[in-house]
Amino acid sequence: MTVGHLRGHGNETIQIDHHSNASWFGLIDSRAKLVGVLSFVVVSATLTDADLIVASLAVALAFAAMSGVRAAILIKSYLVALPFIVLASISVFLFVSIESGINMWARTSACVIPLLVLVSGTETFDLFAGLRRLRVPAVITTLLMLTHRYILVLSGELARMKVARRARGFRGGRSLLDKYGLKVLSNTAGMVLVRSSVRADRIYEGLKARGFDIEMHAWHKTRIDSRAATLMACFLVVSAALVLLQLEVIA
Amino acid sequence: MNLLEISGLGFAYPDGTVALRDVALSIERGEKVAVVGPNGAGKSTLLQLIAGFRMPFTGRVIVSGKELKESSSDEIRRDLGLLFQDPDDQIFMPTVEEDVAFGPRNLDMDDIEERVLRGLRSAGIEKLAKRQPHKLSYGMKKRVAIAGVMAMDPKVLLLDEPTSGLDPRSRMELIKLLKGMDRTMLIATHDLEAAAEIVDRAIVLNESVVMEGTLRDLVMAKDVVESAGLELPPISRLFKVLDAMGYPIDSLPVSMDQAVAELTMVMDRNGKHVHAHIHEHDHIREKAKAEHAHETR
Repeated sequence: MTVGHLRGHGNETIQIDHHSNASWFGLIDSRAKLVGVLSFVVVSATLTDADLIVASLAVALAFAAMSGVRAAILIKSYLVALPFIVLASISVFLFVSIESGINMWARTSACVIPLLVLVSGTETFDLFAGLRRLRVPAVITTLLMLTHRYILVLSGELARMKVARRARGFRGGRSLLDKYGLKVLSNTAGMVLVRSSVRADRIYEGLKARGFDIEMHAWHKTRIDSRAATLMACFLVVSAALVLLQLEVIA
Repeated sequence: MNLLEISGLGFAYPDGTVALRDVALSIERGEKVAVVGPNGAGKSTLLQLIAGFRMPFTGRVIVSGKELKESSSDEIRRDLGLLFQDPDDQIFMPTVEEDVAFGPRNLDMDDIEERVLRGLRSAGIEKLAKRQPHKLSYGMKKRVAIAGVMAMDPKVLLLDEPTSGLDPRSRMELIKLLKGMDRTMLIATHDLEAAAEIVDRAIVLNESVVMEGTLRDLVMAKDVVESAGLELPPISRLFKVLDAMGYPIDSLPVSMDQAVAELTMVMDRNGKHVHAHIHEHDHIREKAKAEHAHETR
């Protein structure tokens, strides 16, 4: 979770870090969470039976409620995703039927909600470390980890450049017709790119100076304990049941 | 035995700009040396060359008996601890303790727990172990970077502008920390005041080595200071004024300790005592009253 930087002295005593692992869900091994949630999402995305879609949405909502992740965070994140969900649902509603549109909304929500719980309830670094431990290639997970780490730094640079622009009287860029404003903003984007490239060189040297090969090793690794195994098993059982019901193997 | 030995070192950027020319430098075990010079003098490039990040170069760099080559750079970096100017360039992990453990884990070092504790302790940030580094102040990030370097137990510390960007309190704390470290150091800086507190000797770099000696020798060399674009520490400037006023001074002090020693020495020599006072005056109209310090018998 991205939170603004703290500045000045005495910050070491102020504990305002966002704790993604404040809930029981946050403390669970990220591999178990990834396997459980992703299997449920894949299955939910392929459901066509309306009753089963509603059932999967109910499971997703129950999981969100029980996860211990703050509802406000989940609602905010869902609202960000909502326009995309609505767009997909409306297009189906317009071209197929109302029922299909509603099914699309429910199905998409059943997929999005558990993913939001997973992302909001897990430290981003743990999530990528979990992917690595699930044998995702190191080059991908390392890139993800470093990208996440340096988004904060680059967003800080962007914010400073914005302040610098405004401090020198720039008020443009609010309209697509404002050619000068667009020129200034595109120059800013170019400058960020140049700065990113220079910083990337320094980061590489920083990594090499500390013996980096290709992998970001986490020091403390979590284990799949009984709670993690239970969570994973629950998701796998529910997913399997939904598949079997969908295929009418069981009535 | 010299821990770091550099001879005939030269380097030019791909566009042909010469960064370093025939640089020679040797540092003994436990010695602290500052490389001072103006912006663009090649200070950071020198550190990057020693750490094997820039090649090819002419001349020789020998670290702890091993000659630096493209093939040996990884091995040589195990003996070096490089502190970057911007700590964000070398902090990668989600918590402070994880970041301090990053180097030792990569190098398969033993007893990581103990190394992390030692690193945190040496930088005075044990209490920050569980914090997220990107949310700390700039000064604290510098300390996290130092802890990360110290956990690797390097033979030589290479510090690039360690005091830049710090507020006065953080700067003083960092100076105290570096001063107290029993470690071989090469510090690139243009903060003479900080260097005076930390190092044993300094070299002035401007493409090549312009001068080498103690900081005290350096501040006495007016031409070198001016051509290198350096600014004398306030304490040296004060004694320069006193010198101009006829106060008997052998050489300009560069740190508070040296200033106190200089004053004490003069008192012992002349059987006088010194007291200073501050008063308002006008330089133009009251030139006669412009004395800031005076002696009484």
